[in-house]
Amino acid sequence: MHIPRRELLRRSGMGFGTLALASLLSRDADAVATPSHFPARAKRVIHVMLNGGMSQVDTFDPKPELQARGGQMLPFENLQTERKTGVALPSPFRFARHGDSGIPVSEIFPNLARCVDDMAVIRSMHVELPNHEMSLMLLNTGDMRQVRPSFGSWLTWGMGQENDNLPGFISLVPGGMPVGGAGNWRSAFLPGAFQGTHVDTSKADPSALIDHIRNSRLTPQRQREQFDLLQHLNARHLADRPGEAAIEARIRSFELAYRMQLEATDAFDIRQEPEHIIRMYGEGPQNRQLLMARRLVERGVRFVQTWHGNMQPWDSHSNIKDEHRRVAGECDQGLAALLSDLKSRGMLDSTLVLCSGEFGRTPSVEMGQNGAGASQGRDHSHWGFSLWLAGGGVKGGTIHGATDDFGFKVAENPVSVHDLHATMLHLLGFDHTRLTYRYAGRDYRLTDVEGEVVRPILA
Amino acid sequence: MTPILRRLLTVWQGSSPAGAAGRMPWWILCATLALSSGRSLAADIRYDRDVRPILAEHCLGCHGPDAPARQADLRLDTEDGAKPRVIVPHRPDESEFIRRLLASDPAERMPPPDTGRELTATEIDTLRRWVEAGAPYEKHWAFSPIKRPVVPSPVGPASTDIDRFLVAAREARGVGTVATISRRELIRRATYDLTGLPPNWEEVAAFEADSSPQAFATVVDRLLASPRYGERWGRHWLDIARYADTHGGSAIGFTKFPFSYTYRDYVVQSFNGDVPWNRFVAEQVAADQMGLAETDPALAALGFLTIGMQFRNRNDLVDDQIDVVSRGLMGLTIACARCHDHKYDPISTADYYSLHATLAASRPPETLPVIGTPAETPALAEYRHELQRRRTVRDDMATDQVAVMQGRLRMQVGLYLRELAKGTPEQDLSSAFLSFRTDEVRPHILNRWRDYLAAITDNDPVFGPWIRLRQLPADQFATRSSEIVAVLLADNGDPAAASAKNGLAEETPKWNPLVLAALADRKPESLADVADAYGFLFAEVHRQWLKGLAEASEEAVGDGIITDEDPRHATINSPIHRQLRHHLFADGTPTMIGGQAAQSLLNRTVQDTLAGKGGAIHDLHLGSPGSPPRSMVLTEQDDAGPFHILRRGNAINRGEVVEARFPTILAAAADNKPFPAGRRRLGLAAALVSPDNPLLRRVIVNWAWQRHFGAGLVRTPDDFGTRGQPPTHPELLDHLASGFLDDGWSLKSLHRRIMLSDAYRLGATEVAASRQVDPDDELLWRMPRRRLDVESMRDAMLAVSGELDTTMGGAPVDLAAAPIIPRRSIYGFVNRDIVSSLSGTFDGANPTACTVRRPETTIPQQALFALNSDFIQDRAVALSKLAMQAADTDEARVAWLFGRLFSRQPSAEETASALVYTRQQAATPDAGDGPLPPELPWQRLAHVLLAANEFLFPD
Repeated sequence: MHIPRRELLRRSGMGFGTLALASLLSRDADAVATPSHFPARAKRVIHVMLNGGMSQVDTFDPKPELQARGGQMLPFENLQTERKTGVALPSPFRFARHGDSGIPVSEIFPNLARCVDDMAVIRSMHVELPNHEMSLMLLNTGDMRQVRPSFGSWLTWGMGQENDNLPGFISLVPGGMPVGGAGNWRSAFLPGAFQGTHVDTSKADPSALIDHIRNSRLTPQRQREQFDLLQHLNARHLADRPGEAAIEARIRSFELAYRMQLEATDAFDIRQEPEHIIRMYGEGPQNRQLLMARRLVERGVRFVQTWHGNMQPWDSHSNIKDEHRRVAGECDQGLAALLSDLKSRGMLDSTLVLCSGEFGRTPSVEMGQNGAGASQGRDHSHWGFSLWLAGGGVKGGTIHGATDDFGFKVAENPVSVHDLHATMLHLLGFDHTRLTYRYAGRDYRLTDVEGEVVRPILA
Repeated sequence: MTPILRRLLTVWQGSSPAGAAGRMPWWILCATLALSSGRSLAADIRYDRDVRPILAEHCLGCHGPDAPARQADLRLDTEDGAKPRVIVPHRPDESEFIRRLLASDPAERMPPPDTGRELTATEIDTLRRWVEAGAPYEKHWAFSPIKRPVVPSPVGPASTDIDRFLVAAREARGVGTVATISRRELIRRATYDLTGLPPNWEEVAAFEADSSPQAFATVVDRLLASPRYGERWGRHWLDIARYADTHGGSAIGFTKFPFSYTYRDYVVQSFNGDVPWNRFVAEQVAADQMGLAETDPALAALGFLTIGMQFRNRNDLVDDQIDVVSRGLMGLTIACARCHDHKYDPISTADYYSLHATLAASRPPETLPVIGTPAETPALAEYRHELQRRRTVRDDMATDQVAVMQGRLRMQVGLYLRELAKGTPEQDLSSAFLSFRTDEVRPHILNRWRDYLAAITDNDPVFGPWIRLRQLPADQFATRSSEIVAVLLADNGDPAAASAKNGLAEETPKWNPLVLAALADRKPESLADVADAYGFLFAEVHRQWLKGLAEASEEAVGDGIITDEDPRHATINSPIHRQLRHHLFADGTPTMIGGQAAQSLLNRTVQDTLAGKGGAIHDLHLGSPGSPPRSMVLTEQDDAGPFHILRRGNAINRGEVVEARFPTILAAAADNKPFPAGRRRLGLAAALVSPDNPLLRRVIVNWAWQRHFGAGLVRTPDDFGTRGQPPTHPELLDHLASGFLDDGWSLKSLHRRIMLSDAYRLGATEVAASRQVDPDDELLWRMPRRRLDVESMRDAMLAVSGELDTTMGGAPVDLAAAPIIPRRSIYGFVNRDIVSSLSGTFDGANPTACTVRRPETTIPQQALFALNSDFIQDRAVALSKLAMQAADTDEARVAWLFGRLFSRQPSAEETASALVYTRQQAATPDAGDGPLPPELPWQRLAHVLLAANEFLFPD
């Protein structure tokens, strides 16, 4: 396979690698290794992060037995979670089957429920600890303790850029930072160019979203004049130093940056969407940033992660009924709109959408402080939880794996985060055992020494 | 096939996802290797240089030092392992080793096709010719003693010994060099190189006018004497030391170190003072064990170990220290051996855990020592007062709450014994992060009970019965337990006699009668029942103690005197109760837990509140104007160890006990006795700086070389192991390492040696013919083109704009503050949790781990910074003011700006372009505005020059 020269440039550091460029100035650098291990089904990823932890038994994993035994202690020893939990808490939500596949979804996702035939629900996810920060690190970087590159960094490094005028990996967070902060999108030992660009989507002005994207002191005309002089001097400087790759790289980079000033702000400006699209996605920052995510992937951004909000909005410890209904209501319309919008644009097949929390929640009720008085909420549970994927080579209308009769612990076909990563990389054209980076004498992998592709959810 | 491709592929080895070789068309590979193997085509095949890299890359993962991973019980990295089993010297055709490489049957072929690894024809040919030559093995170069090679005598001119090595190597390959640079370019190169700042016009002019043969040596000496030198090279060292001002890994926000800056300042001072490198290294590992006064600033050196990422898991924290010591100081990737023997290098898990035992034995003390004697100011007095107050608040609360928890734990003996009865395994505390409530099992306490009962003998009067009963098989428990209890009861004799033993002077029977009574009463059918019986008993004994204690205390304020022998003191005085209470109150018993360990087990709300009070102390250190600088030291613990190998890195899967000592492969030459308890790190320091250590000096001279020439003589500066690249000039590396010793470990002398070479004056000029022969510039036929790093870029802009504040040291400043704090970048606050936009955009060091080489990327965000940032435009404003003051005419201003920024005069064409621009700006109003103020065109021109490539890429 032949990769165009531009692709080469992109792959060497989200623009130009200083070293690589030396070679690129000459003619025939077209032939080089293929960037992936086999044909990619998906070319880009949107990860909708329900940070705080979505309750499986209230969304995608209905449990009649739990409903039947409300108020009783579960008939097995309480599994260790963050805090002590008590009796079974039946889901306050009604479930109904949807689509041709008949996948059950609870009433808090009325819009998304219409899309189940495009979704694969994994009901047998598990992580290692009921702790937000560590589980977020595990989900995002494949390691819950050490500093490792995030999924988006691996992906942008491995696949390169589709659009030089935008960062390849963008994290959208309305109004603040999730638990773990920028650690969720860091590049660790991969070059800094591959770290996620954090964008606070609560800001309305698109030009405030990216550092230095506008010049506040020069009119466009004046900037053009200044830019012309700059590139003139740069060209003279290069003329005396023929063949100097690093110097030419920076000259080109200036051209890109100059164009990026316009394109980047456009990408984030959802006001440019037609009215019916804006209405389809709905109100509120969570819905709106899903539309922004679509605009970004449409322009070739490789990995967009949308966070539900500051800290841990899905962390419904004290009142599952009201809190989960509220947070689901904030993104339900946007999620449904995202899937159908991608589909109608012919992009769903090549866009892998993942929607997950960092863990699930206990089917049992969380006890109040010092055991006095149960709340009506659920504690963190890492023993078993649900998430869903769609598009990008995922077999829609699929349910994979199962928890026990109460939705507490995985009972069938357990899927670890490494398995999830292996599966996603597979869809993106990578053998997860061969996507390696040599650092400190070792060939590192996103999946460390583990990971099995979850084949039943592949189309 | 072109050399271009060949070069590309080399680049790719470092930056492609899957290792390019696996996916490359065969013809590219063949052509590539034909080009790159110029050396191998030479008659002499050297194991170290030619063979080992192939084995390491393709074979040793399964046939190397890692015993559990070894396949077919075959190892190829040792002569004994390979010969004669698979290698028959001089007979490649009879050698299974060669036969397997060539086998066409996929089941026979090595490496197995499913690994995706494949040797090229050239590589196989190299191995074949090595076997033909008898397959001689050599000790890996990096582990061999540092030699004093004979300096070669090349034909061409060479001014220094360094050049004689370089020229000889170039002559062997028929590669010439590029022209040397001008004096103007040389002083710019040297000034940026040693100080991270540009020279000023006067310095350039003086050097150009100095006709003395010592002119450049004078410049180098002046620069080495400048305090700016320590700021530049100190910053290089901080990359290695993964310096940051925050803990890293905080869940929410970030936590600042109050005193990380004292390490940074120590580093700057050490470089400026040219502290001998052996002392510099020793202080960073063991300053606290070198007999320094507690106020000595050199104690801050220990920041090298303590300013790393503050992992919650202690083993991860120590792992980070092992990594910085091994990779940073010795070019060894020892951290690879945490879970298994190193796959490629002779480093075992025992070696890893020997370093673990060296470093894990130390912890930071409760109070860090103050550096020097701070002046007695009102601010200091206020700080001391406030510190005392906040500590009292925190400590008193901790004492109370720990006492409360201990009281509860004494009531909960049954809870823990029941867990043990269930067979709950040892708890891994390294990752535990749980919030507790009163009724929950604390994993730490459970482990303490487990260890405590494991150490108790079966004749203990209280727990002897437990020990005996816990050995019973479940199916016979009911019958056998009553038999055992009966036997023990019989041992004790008359129970009535025992129950009367309540006086002060009484002695106890063989077995504690209350325990036996509880067991006899309970008639246990399982160990869980036994646990219950003990649990109720301990709770009751503790309850009576508390009651007795309360009543006995009341006597002090009551009417009349009650004697200590009074029957009302029966419980307190009872030796039988006391026997039970021993297990609740004596030192070393499971519930007698204090300090940090106890505080981490408090109930969630209490713990959170206490953490807040601890945070108030932290905030005081951080924010009080009187807070004196302190050294972030370590102290070796008296009760440290024993330390075990942790199999697969698992904290509860302990292997054999290890001693603190140096890695075996390096210690062969040195004396590898265990490091002495109490001074383990000093032992490590001594081993590190021993002249017999083959690595430390090679690593440091390579580090300096890399900083001067863009790439090291060893191009994998943190991996001198078998998978790293061998040195491009092994003899030169050893020559420098020996010279470094001769120079008394003086880094400044090393700079002089390097900078006074001819090689240092080579131009950064491309030559296609040389590139063809030596695509990676391994022969150093040119100087690589380098962009200013982020610190130099920022500092140089401030320097030319006249704003740079050269104040040294102290607490970190916010580089993003407005208005700007124009200090040197090294004094900027380094946030490990949230890497600054400037550092992330411009390839700053990764502050989470030892960085030996920064990435080099060119991305549009960098150009956006140059085009639009307030930083560059504000510098342009200041710079243009200086230009307007310095010169009256437009031409003179342009000339002044070029001189200031580029150390040269502009060409006529450049002057003309600049003037066309400024005049056009002045003549045309900005949209909607009136005429431009006269300074604006000059600001805009200054902005262009600051953004120009010439500013960022010194020649």
